[in-house]
Amino acid sequence: MRKTFGLCLFLILALTLAGVASATEITVWCWDPLFNIYAMEEAAKIYAEINPDVTINIVETPWDDVQTKLTTAVMAGQLDTLPDILLMQDNALVKNVTNYPEVFYDLTESGIDFSQFADFKVNHTVVDGRNFGVPFDNGAAITALRVDILEQAGYTVEDFTDITWSRFIEIGKDVLEKTGYPLLSAVSESPDHIMVCLQSAGTWMFDENGDVFIADNEVLKETVEVYVELVKSGVLVQVPDWEQYIGTLNRGTVAGTINGCWIIGTIVAQPEQAGKWRITNIPRMDRAPNATQYSNQGGSSWMVLAHSPNKDVAVDFLKHTFAGSVELYETILPSSGALATYLPAGDSDVYNEPHPFFGGQAIYADITEFAAQVPKISYGVYNYEARDAVAMAISQVLQGWDIDSALREAEETVKFLMGP
Amino acid sequence: MGQVLTLKRRQNLIGWLFIVPASVLIFIFYFYPIVRAALLSFQTGVGVNLQYAGLFNYQRLLADNVLKTSITNVFIFLIIQVPVMLTLALILASLLNDPNLKFRGFFRTALFLPCATSLVSYAIVFRSLFALDGLVNFVLTSLNIVERPINWIGNPWTARALIIIALTWRWTGYNMVFYLAGLQNIDRSIYEAALIDGASGFTRFTRITVPLLKPIILLTSIMSTNGTLQLFDETMNLTNGGPANATLSVSQYIYRLSFQYSPRFGYAAAISFVIFVMVAVLSFIQMRVGDTR
Repeated sequence: MRKTFGLCLFLILALTLAGVASATEITVWCWDPLFNIYAMEEAAKIYAEINPDVTINIVETPWDDVQTKLTTAVMAGQLDTLPDILLMQDNALVKNVTNYPEVFYDLTESGIDFSQFADFKVNHTVVDGRNFGVPFDNGAAITALRVDILEQAGYTVEDFTDITWSRFIEIGKDVLEKTGYPLLSAVSESPDHIMVCLQSAGTWMFDENGDVFIADNEVLKETVEVYVELVKSGVLVQVPDWEQYIGTLNRGTVAGTINGCWIIGTIVAQPEQAGKWRITNIPRMDRAPNATQYSNQGGSSWMVLAHSPNKDVAVDFLKHTFAGSVELYETILPSSGALATYLPAGDSDVYNEPHPFFGGQAIYADITEFAAQVPKISYGVYNYEARDAVAMAISQVLQGWDIDSALREAEETVKFLMGP
Repeated sequence: MGQVLTLKRRQNLIGWLFIVPASVLIFIFYFYPIVRAALLSFQTGVGVNLQYAGLFNYQRLLADNVLKTSITNVFIFLIIQVPVMLTLALILASLLNDPNLKFRGFFRTALFLPCATSLVSYAIVFRSLFALDGLVNFVLTSLNIVERPINWIGNPWTARALIIIALTWRWTGYNMVFYLAGLQNIDRSIYEAALIDGASGFTRFTRITVPLLKPIILLTSIMSTNGTLQLFDETMNLTNGGPANATLSVSQYIYRLSFQYSPRFGYAAAISFVIFVMVAVLSFIQMRVGDTR
């Protein structure tokens, strides 16, 4: 009785307050209805129970548009056209925070416990020792393989676990010869494969001082060699664009792929392939000194805008959802495959469930384990410049240039773009 | 006397009133941004941290290899595509001007229709038509014209050819309409006289149609040159500048510098003035060559 009375009183109070002060609206920009937007909607539902006065207004904005709108708004000084929260690609976060200081809200003292997130992921959201993003999706790299095809050539997933690239290419040639299937496909002109390999060996296209590290980067040289060998041996087939890359997986013209674990969402979209896929860790570099079997590809984090009049509410919202609710991650994982970097969620039973599409393998537990071992690197301010330059170098090497001169030219290009 | 002046003044005033709205808008949305862009091109720095640095950006672009590549690319497009397109447009226009042609309206509409499509959507349609397993490769392999499907956007020259094919499809009808309009002003009796004198169709085309359309040919070639130098949508959506920057246009490079890379608006503005100067110089040359008045 007393409790009901209290609740009634609270409701009346809340309604009056809502009527007087009107509800606070938090605007969020993010992309992908099946993934980020869905996760945001679920987070809004959870927060509605904690703070019913707040409505979350999600505006679907593709990443390219987020970047363009952000740049335009900041350059024009029209910060009020920006939302309260936006989703940021990890590989552009340092760039945007560095170029637009004071646009993003420093979350270091916000009370969000960043030690609860995977180390490598937090590292992508830190600029000069300050936290600027709440880590979200996991981009831990996986090797996904079609066991039915491998079987025809006499291999299993175990043969691909904890191996080197030279062994991978060796098996790849054998599989190609026996079954006619290439192991991998990749978008030509895309440097993603190189990037995965670089991070797996704990290095990047910039050194710790942020200077270009391309021409004399032995690891980068080795990754380019591996890529060229993959293409020339036919173990990796290049396709012109992303749609056709997806096509090779869904139509089953390749025996596997290496990518961020979010590629699972695409793989499971083909129900007739159910049970035929398994995942494992990625091959390690043969010569690189810090080679590991783990890397990252893609991923994004939530950022709060510093000019927002509701930034405290926005921070509180993130604190209670993406940085504090195991329930949220339990809800979004099974339906969207949105794998978290929020470590407490990894202990949840949902993560240990066998996945029928992957023959009962507990893939989420495996990926969480991979994610914990991804080497920490910083993508740097000039990441996009370097990506384009290295992509160009790969193209040149495939057209017959020698690796050293192609990488030297790439370094010159990036140096020029970084110049005064 | 006073009465006359007042009337004149009043008419002048009315004339000015007609001009003022358009002029004000042009000043606000054209000239003011141009001045601001010029000022911006003298500033250097990344993101919002800009300082004045005189002609530094203009000096910097002399050493820019990517800019050189992109200028070479647009000139390749310009030199191959514009003459092909304008010749095609001229031929089509004179064919469609034949009063005895059946379904003239249908053909005219059909040829003009590509111009009504959005630049982005047509680029995407072309991309799928010319995909590795797209319609074009299917037709080419089925007819045994090529042995294996062509990776159009994978090789520098096929990618450039693809851009040129796409541009020609999109813009030929547009230029044709200008020529059709111009042809309406040529007196039929000139053609009849030529016919009586025994001039062949080809002679009539080269000796009557082309010379009398010269001002319009000049106009379309200046417009096409201008459009090609500022090419953006097609390379962005069809090939994304690839492979290895072989189809990167100057405008796309400006876009990369402004929105994809760490933004250098000052430098990007300087490059946009390079396009401006190129357009001005080329238009001047074309006027000198084309205008014999």
